[in-house]
Amino acid sequence: MKVWLKKLIYSDDIVGALGIFLVLLVVFFSVMTPHFFSLMNFNSIIGNIPAMAILCLGLTFVVLVGDLDLSLGSILGITAILAVFFFKVMHFPLWLNLVSCVIIGGIFGAFNGAIVTKIGINSIITTLGTMALIRGLTYWIAMDVDAMQVGRITDPAFLNFGRYYFPEKSRLIPITLVYLVILYGASALFLNHTSFGRQIYAVGSNEATARLAGINVKRVRFVCFIIAGMLSAFGGLVLVAQLGLGEAYTGQNMILEVVTAVVLGGVLLTGGKGRLTGVIIAVLILGVIRNGMVHLEQVTDISFYWRDVAKGVILLLAIGLYSVRKSFNAKRLRTRQ
Amino acid sequence: MKIIGNKITTNMSLFAFLGFLIIVFSFTSEHFLGIYNITSLLTNISYSGIAAIVLTLIIISRGLDISIGGVIGLTTVVIATLYSQSDPLPVWLILIIGLSTGALVGLLNGWCITVLNMDPIITTLGAMAITRGLAYVISDSQSILMFEDTTDFISNGTILFIPIPIILFLITALIFSIILHKSKFGRAVYAIGANETSASLSGISVKKVKMILYVLSGLAASISGIILVGQTSVGMPQHGIGTELEVITAVLLGGTALSGGKGTIYGTIAGVLILGVLFNGLTISGVRYVHLQIFQGILLLAAVATYEIKTRNEVAT
Repeated sequence: MKVWLKKLIYSDDIVGALGIFLVLLVVFFSVMTPHFFSLMNFNSIIGNIPAMAILCLGLTFVVLVGDLDLSLGSILGITAILAVFFFKVMHFPLWLNLVSCVIIGGIFGAFNGAIVTKIGINSIITTLGTMALIRGLTYWIAMDVDAMQVGRITDPAFLNFGRYYFPEKSRLIPITLVYLVILYGASALFLNHTSFGRQIYAVGSNEATARLAGINVKRVRFVCFIIAGMLSAFGGLVLVAQLGLGEAYTGQNMILEVVTAVVLGGVLLTGGKGRLTGVIIAVLILGVIRNGMVHLEQVTDISFYWRDVAKGVILLLAIGLYSVRKSFNAKRLRTRQ
Repeated sequence: MKIIGNKITTNMSLFAFLGFLIIVFSFTSEHFLGIYNITSLLTNISYSGIAAIVLTLIIISRGLDISIGGVIGLTTVVIATLYSQSDPLPVWLILIIGLSTGALVGLLNGWCITVLNMDPIITTLGAMAITRGLAYVISDSQSILMFEDTTDFISNGTILFIPIPIILFLITALIFSIILHKSKFGRAVYAIGANETSASLSGISVKKVKMILYVLSGLAASISGIILVGQTSVGMPQHGIGTELEVITAVLLGGTALSGGKGTIYGTIAGVLILGVLFNGLTISGVRYVHLQIFQGILLLAAVATYEIKTRNEVAT
């Protein structure tokens, strides 16, 4: 058998299979619909995923150490509101707005991390609590500040933060794509080529061993929560600039889709395993389905809402195949011995 | 004896906190202890309470069900769509189809978790997307009106002045506290949660128990869905969004540990009541909805932190 085929079937990595699936999806929608395969449409797919992709990146850090952060959608929401607040009420310049929002996101992340590592509460429960808490704060700010009632932003400098294209005239590369490439590239370097990045994987795959190897386990987990909070805040800013408005319910119900994408991307919920390539491909798969179903609805009478069903089925199939293959591999190893 | 003592104090402190809340709210609002308010409070909590009771067993067995909200939405849509056909089926058949919707989803969840050995969080996350998506597809994102006597009776009717949802909640709580605390099945649930391998080595059919639990959870969510259709007279795909988190919060507040093997039905009832009383009491005292979420978050964190610190002290001594 060919080596790559063997690798695809037997290896624990699902990134290759995901990539093939993404290509098949693109081919399917291109054949079925007339307007799917065009540069403009691909730009609109890319334009729809940045906040989602940045949140997924943040969650990946937390999941890699074996925790879960359900409050990221709420952190995105509160930064969306605060960005509008800083801009319209405090009249911050863009860079100061950016810095303060990311710092605030980091503080919320640190709050989660402190509860999880210092008190020792399960991260799902902790972030379930802070999710409600932060969302409540967001509504509070949004409702009690008069200037917030109309959250629309019209300043071109702020809007360009999420809507700019390189080069400006021909609208070739959206600035959000640049953000994604930089963030994912830097994170991949950080995870794979720094000692702290390797510590993240070590803590996730076996906490006790990591501790015995001299890694400050609590600090690693704590820092991952902060990174996730900061990234979510950045995602919130990008979203506000793209939409031109921030509302109290921005990012509500987003987190379950983020978890879906991260899990689909092959990141183990128990930690220690997963690659960013898989995560970004999973985000693209969900984005292509969302966009492709709109095109499909126009030429056939298949409802656009099948996309949620498709999302769930793909998640179950991917993880189901993965776990079947894992037990199959285990059996194969046993018989060989 | 000491273990039993601890169990009692945990539940006692929960109910003491509940009593404290009730006393506070009876001072802040004169309407709080009115018979009308108490009935509406209890009716409101029984809808999510039924799902919370069954979820308690699942969490004790170290599982989780996130598809509850999706199943609720799907059930309301299925029932209302079937009823709105020009030549509808008899109502009892529609209700049975509604209930089997939940049971089927539960069966799918159970099959993935036991046979394919998939993580319960991932499985039910997928099931959540599928059920919610199907609800949107079937209803085409529309609300479907359903004015019908039986469902109206189930959610708004009374027997001996007690609203039927409350009776359903009490019956569910009674049945499941007997199952969990007095039966072999209940011991099996605890054993699986504490250590799955040793449970299966000691002759417990782990897969069967888990399968039954997830089917029951789907059924309970469908019952909640039927109550919701009656209360709102409408089936729509947005029904039950966020209910899963509310239900999980109530169960965890009641002292059930996500790590499995620990928890009681009484604790969950206390958790459901505390959340219900807190929401109702704060609302009736003039606190706005937006601030309620802050209280909910703080409460959950404080309660779980207390458990955590208490267990740590017990281990230390």
